[in-house]
Parts: sequence; C-alpha cells; structure tokens
Amino acid sequence: MTPARKGLLLVTWIATVALLGWVVNRDLVIGSDLRLFMPSPRTQQERLILEEIGEGPASRMLLLAISGPDPQAAAETSRALAAALRSSGEFRLVANGESNLDSIPESLLAYRYLLSPTLDHTMLDAGYLRAQLEERLRDLSSPAAGFLEPWLPRDPTLELLKLADSWLPARQPQLMYDVWFDPAGTEALLVAETRAPGFDPRGQRRAADELQRAFEASRTDSRLRLEASGPGAFSVLMQARMQEEVQWIGTVDAIGIVLLLLVAYRSLPVLVLGLLPLVSAGVAGLAAVGTIFGQVHGITLAFGFTLIGVAQDYPIHLFSHQHRGLDARTSVRALWPTLATGVASTCVAYLAFLFSGVGGLAQLSVFTVTGLAVAGLTTRFLLPPLVPDSGRDAADSAVLGRLWHSIAGLPRPLWLGVAIAGACTGYLALSPRPLWENNLGALTPVPRALLERDSALRKELGAPDIRHLLVIEGADAQSVLEKAEALEPGLQSMVTRGELGGFDDPARYLPPKSTQERRRAALPEPGALESALAEALGTTPFKPGVFAPFLADVERARHLAALGPSDLAGTPLETRVESMLLERDDHWTGLITLAGLSNPAALAQTVAGTPGVTLLDLKQASEDLVAHQRERILWCLAISAVLLVIVVFVALRDASRVRRVLAPMVLTNLVIVALFHAAGISLSLFHLIALVLAAGLGLDYALFFEHAADDPAEQRRTLHAVIVCSLSTFLVFALLGLSTMPVLRAIGITVAAGVVGNFVLALLLTRPRDAKTHGR
Amino acid sequence: MIALTLAATPLHAADPDLDTLLARLARPAPDSTSFVEIRYSSLLDKPILVSGHLEHQADGALVRRVESPYQEVTVLQGENVSVERAGSKPRQFSLDRAPELRGTLASFGALLKGDRPMLEQYFAVTVSGSDALWEITLAPRNQKLKRRLSNIVVDGAGDRPRCFTLHEPDGDESLMALGVDGPGDLPAPPERQALEAWCTASTGH
Repeated sequence: MTPARKGLLLVTWIATVALLGWVVNRDLVIGSDLRLFMPSPRTQQERLILEEIGEGPASRMLLLAISGPDPQAAAETSRALAAALRSSGEFRLVANGESNLDSIPESLLAYRYLLSPTLDHTMLDAGYLRAQLEERLRDLSSPAAGFLEPWLPRDPTLELLKLADSWLPARQPQLMYDVWFDPAGTEALLVAETRAPGFDPRGQRRAADELQRAFEASRTDSRLRLEASGPGAFSVLMQARMQEEVQWIGTVDAIGIVLLLLVAYRSLPVLVLGLLPLVSAGVAGLAAVGTIFGQVHGITLAFGFTLIGVAQDYPIHLFSHQHRGLDARTSVRALWPTLATGVASTCVAYLAFLFSGVGGLAQLSVFTVTGLAVAGLTTRFLLPPLVPDSGRDAADSAVLGRLWHSIAGLPRPLWLGVAIAGACTGYLALSPRPLWENNLGALTPVPRALLERDSALRKELGAPDIRHLLVIEGADAQSVLEKAEALEPGLQSMVTRGELGGFDDPARYLPPKSTQERRRAALPEPGALESALAEALGTTPFKPGVFAPFLADVERARHLAALGPSDLAGTPLETRVESMLLERDDHWTGLITLAGLSNPAALAQTVAGTPGVTLLDLKQASEDLVAHQRERILWCLAISAVLLVIVVFVALRDASRVRRVLAPMVLTNLVIVALFHAAGISLSLFHLIALVLAAGLGLDYALFFEHAADDPAEQRRTLHAVIVCSLSTFLVFALLGLSTMPVLRAIGITVAAGVVGNFVLALLLTRPRDAKTHGR
Repeated sequence: MIALTLAATPLHAADPDLDTLLARLARPAPDSTSFVEIRYSSLLDKPILVSGHLEHQADGALVRRVESPYQEVTVLQGENVSVERAGSKPRQFSLDRAPELRGTLASFGALLKGDRPMLEQYFAVTVSGSDALWEITLAPRNQKLKRRLSNIVVDGAGDRPRCFTLHEPDGDESLMALGVDGPGDLPAPPERQALEAWCTASTGH
C-alpha cells in the first residue's frame, strides 16, 4: 500500500468515525430513569411496585432543616424559601407549618361545608349553632380573638379553621413564629415534594439546584445553613460523589495507559493507532443502542465504556507481534482465528444480558457486543495496513525470554487446580450465608450519619415512611376516593392503638362526590337556617344581622356541584391531591402514605377487607424483584456459557485444547467468588457483570497463549502482548477498586482480581504438558 | 421620712421617670394577680366580661386563667400560645399569628421584669401623670403590629398597675382591670367612659 493510499485510508476511517460520532451526538437522548435497570414487571403486584418506586410521594419528599444562631431569622427564611419553592415549578408541595386562612382561595370558601366532616355528625340546627355561638363568645374574649374575629360573620362554626387544621399533619412539629421547628427550637423544618420522581436523577438534580438557589435568595442571615435529606437528596449526593471519583480515576487511568503504551512500543503513531479501534467501537456501540432503543441510559454509557475497554487489547496483540520485515497484514492473518474466537466468545457472554428482561442491561449488551465486534473487525481489516514497520521485536527481549523460561520451568500441578475448583464449589455450596446481595441500596450506601439524621427529621416532621405504602386501584377517581375514605376509620383506630404514627390519604383533602353530596343535602334551606340562627342567637350579645354573610355562604353551598379532581386546578388542594391520586392509562391509583408503622401485619389485616387495596412493602418487594431478576440473568448466563464453549470448540476442534483454554477462566471465577464470600462480600448484579468481563479477558489470554504454543519467539511476543493487556486492564480496574463507592469498588476489585488470576492461570494451565520439552 | 419623700419628688408635676416607674412596678416571679377583662367588639351589642387570675410563673410562662363565667386557661410560653377550654381540644397558635398579643405580652413582661429595652423594642413609650397616678402609653413601632393594635394604655397608681387597655384600629377594645376580684368591683354597667374614668381615678384601693 502506497503512503498516499494509507493516508487516504486513515483519513477515511477517522472521518467516518467522526461523522458517525457527530450524528450520534446530535441525536442521542441520554436517559436517566433508574427503573430501566429494574426488571420488567410480570405480575400486577410487580407493576405496582415499579410504578410506586420513586413515583410515590414519600420518595419525592425532601426534608429540609434551616439552622442558625437566630431562630427568628430561620423562621423568616423558612417562609421566604417555602414561597420561592412553591413558585419555582420544581416542587409541587411545600409545607413548613404555616396555615394561613387567607391563602384559601375565595372559590373554595363556600365548599367548606362539603369538604369538612362536621355535617356527618351534626345538623346546622339551633342547638348546634347555639353551642357554636357560645364558643365564639368565649373565643372573642380569649387571646385568639384578634385573628378569629374577622372570620366570625362569615363562618361562626369556624369550618374553615377545622378544614385547615385537618389538612395539617396528624402529628406535627412544634410551631415557632408560625413555622415548624425542632424540639430544641433552633432549626426551622420544612417538607418539599419534588415534581420530578425519585427515580429521575436528572430531575432530582434540578430540584436540588433550585433549592440551593432559592435558599441563597431567601436567607435573611448569612449564618443560616440549609440541610436537605431524603431519597432525592441522597441520590444527588451519591451521584456527585460517584462522578467525582470516576473523574479522577479516569484521569489517572488515561495517564497510566498512555505511559504504559509508550514504554511498551516506544512509538507515538502506534499509540494513536491503538486508540482507533476503541473509539470506533464506542461510536458504533452508541449508534447501535440509539437506533434500536431510541435513547441510551447514562449508566449504559458509563458502564459500557468500561466494558469495551477490553477492545484496547485487540490492537495490542497485533502490535506486540510486529517485528522487522513482517507486514502487519500477514501477521494479522495468523492472529485472526485466535482474536476472532476471543471476540466471538466474549460477545456471546454479553448476549446473555440481552435476554435478561432488564431494559438497561439489554442496552448494555447491544452496546458491548456491537463495540467489541467493531473493534475486532477494524483491528483485522483497517488497522494492519496502517501499522508502521517496527524496528523492534518483542521476541528479542532478553528479559521476556528469561521470564518465559522460568515460567515454563514452573511445576504445573493440574490436580491442584481440580482440587481448588472442588474446594471452592464445596465451600460455596455448603456455606449457610446467602451468596447474593438483594438490597439495591447497599451498592450506593448513604453515610450512616446522614441516614440517622434523616430518620430523626422524618420522625420530627411526621413525614411518611419510604418503605410502606397503601395503593388503591379503581376504574375511576371516585371509586378510589370512596375506598380511601372507607379505610380511614380502620387506619385511625390503628393510630389510636399506637400501631401507626399517622397516615395521609387523598379523601382527607377531597372527599368522594357521594360524601360531598350527602353533606350538601344536609345543609338547611335559607328559611330553616335563618330561624335556627335566630333561635340560637337568643339572648347572646351578638348584634342582629351580624351573620348575614354566613347565611349567604350556606345558601351558595347548597347549589354547588361536588368537587372532583379536575376542579382543583390552581387551588392549594390541587398539589396535595395530585401526588396521591393519579390517573394512569385506563385506571386511577390512590396512594395512602404511612408514618411510623410499627405493625405491618395488623395493617395488612385492616385493609384486607377492602378490594383493590394493596399494602406495598417496597423494600421487600424490590428485593424479591432483584432476586427474580438475578435468577433470570443466571439462566441466561448459563445458556451463554454453553454457547461460549461451543464457539471455542468450533474454533479449536480439540477437547483437550478447549479444556486448557477454559480452565483458567473457570478456576479464576470460582476462586474469586469463593474469596469474596469468605470475606463477607455479597454478590450483586454488578459483580456478575464484572465476572463476565473478567472471564472474557481470561479467555483472550488463554487463547493467545494456546495459539503461541510451540514457537519460542511467538511465545515471547504473546507474553509481551498479554503483559501489556493485563497491566493496562489491571491498572484501570485496580484504581476503580480504590473507590469509596461500593458499586465501583465491586467492579474494580472483581476485574482486577480476575486479571491477575486469569493471567497467572493462563500461563500455567494453557500450554499442553509436552510444550515444556520444546522450551529453551 | 416624709421629708425624704418630699425631697425626692419634684415639686412641680413633671412626668414621672420611666426607669423609676418600671423599677417600682417590677414583681419577681412567681406572682399572681386577679383580673377582670371587658371586651368591646363591633360584632356585639354589649361587652363580655370574664374574670380570673393572671400568673407569672417562675419558668417565665404567663398564664391567664379564666374562672368565671367559664373555665379557660391560656398559656403563653416563649413564642407559643395555647388556649384550653374545659371540654374541647386546646387551640395553639404562635405570637406571629396574633401580633396584638405579642405586644401585650411584651408590655406585660417588660412591666413585670422592669425591662425597658424590651418595651422599647416594640413600642414608642410615653409617660404622663404623676408618680402617684400615672399613665403609660405604648404605641406600636412596626407595621404588622400597627394593623392590629392602635395602642396600649397602662394606668396605675403608685407601684401598682390598675388597667391595661388595648385599642384596636377598628374601634374594638379590650380592657383588663388588675387586682380586681369580680365585676362587682367595677362600675356598672361596664361602659367604656365609666371604666376609663375608673382606671384613671385616684380613688380605689
């Protein structure tokens, strides 16, 4: 190939990758819905769980504490912050204890008789009015007179106050300066519900930024501090920490690998060429995922690039086998069967995830398989013509020669391998401890101090538990509200018995229309009310005619249509109801949040009588889901393991060669799993993916060692290649293993251990026994 | 003794000195005094009267105990107010909700403790009358308080306050006579002018 044609090839290649990259970058939608990494639901119950994880009010809720030396400043900031958050659009419900009667819009005032339960127990008759007027007289000479007096002509039964009180949490923190405070009176407390669901990290990030901005704008004292707690705040915190770690690890990795490649090949063009298959792989993988799925998840993106990092190995094998006088195009033909076997078998392993039933893993699978295939093919067909003639030959290295010689001299006790495999299998089979980690939260654990703080705040604020939730399903909003209302007495008696701290249900804010209509029917006609009022006023000192606005309001209420969910738009009730009463495709769902549930069994019994009501234990349910999911993935992996053996068998066509190639990888994975178990590490999905990655690497090493079989020069070149490959991989993953994030650490340690185990075992186990006699 | 008193009292009737007055009025907690409160409201065609005891407890809480014609206990502790009436659930609210109450409370507390800075934090204070028969007028400083309260007038004689009168902008009024056991000790019928005259009269106890 002439230099001109080489140049043309290189330019065409780079231009194609760049063009595809530009298109991908233009069209790529990066998703962040964490549910993509959860299994697709199979049962009604699982569907509910997936809808409620992150969708329920509890997981959207942020608990806020404003602390500072001056409680009054904290209270003022609490009020300003609440107002700013309410108008920001990122939050749909902000509560800080303020209950301002003036904030109830005029349009809802007349509805008070339909919304309040007063008319369920009593009539607006002379007796009741008389008793109420007596109370109002006492109110007028009490210190509460100042703020009650303006309302009395319109509302002598204080219905509005009863409503406002009933909308407050059952157990609320103490009020100071009219806002919630902790018992010590030093921190103003607020609850804010984000519009973004809990499983949407990007939405949570926006909400967190908005919160910070609003706080900066509304603080009245620079010494005030804002603390936010809750699932959303934690996920934002953890994500930021993860990004930070990934960034520095990535930087160190890049420097390390560039140095390694420079030392190994002493050539800048080689370094640059070596990156081309990897970059092509990434762009092709993204294009494939984008075409098939329409979008790519952020986790697929981050994780997928880690997985296809293996593609860096392919050009390394080619480079290490270069020597004077050898055209790379010739050498690649010799390497190709081995390389192709490695690529194909690794792809087969990753294909397992395509059928895992988990959307995110399917994306990951498509990304990795496409990426690795493209890296393999470009290394085979595009790279060789471009590789410059090398003046150096790895086989000339005396160091490598001595190293190979001493390795060849090592004893290879095959029985020991069998014994170790047997011991590991036996240990794992007999250990009573569970092998797997079902708790997803264990992978991105929130620091203990923050969790303790969260549970203290939650208790203080009477905020709902994240774990338990009652879900009501119905064909329409009214049937859901009716069921919610029917559940109230049972729940209330649990609260009385101390089995439940409190609950919140949509019917508390919006009673079903049937109830509203019953109350409306109980409202007296104008004549009847007027005479009842006249009788009640009797000898009281109230001026005659003072309650005319009351008579007018009741009359108006008698002609109101009952309020439905759609009538609440623009009222404070809208925000309360919309988070607990949701319309989904063809049905309605009502959520009852629970606080301080101490007896779930009793609750399950309480709701058992109402059809269409489910008590969800999100923790238990999500753990079950994870277990089911893993079972399915393990089956897929088992099938792909069989396929992998078939691929290797087809390539090598010799049972003993197949055994020698597969032995290091099987043994390494067994030892790693056994060691992890012994160290008390429970395996997660991420360990599983990492083990597949390690197995793929091990297979490559073994294939190449096996390929080099008898030729001493080839053996040294292979040794060179595998050392460079394994060192670079080890560097990347050992650094990842230093991370403080368990999910990164899990992947890092697993793969790093896999690299070491596979490298050593491939050296020891792969060559046929008689190869020793041919060595120098 | 008489000579000493004469020497300390300016001969011409200048307004009494606020610091001196406050020092004389201060009462160490715990302390209890009987009261009759008369409330005039635009909603009512005659005033309502309640009587009971005001207590200043050692922990700083102010308790207003209504004993007649019904039982009701109001506790003002820090920023919080709770009103509890026999047979119903306590009503709680904060002083921010009832600015006029914050004013009353501040004036009460300041008088009980002789705390002039606290008084002046909320009110512009003017004193008139003589040492023997004085009147303190408290005009609110901030807008929020002004919307609910025109002023508080405290009338007293010697070292004893007699009446606390709250004037509200809408003409409503609340008058609290201290050291009075029941409505029988007050002019009847309890009309405003008669009561105000009683508060500022030199005779009494």
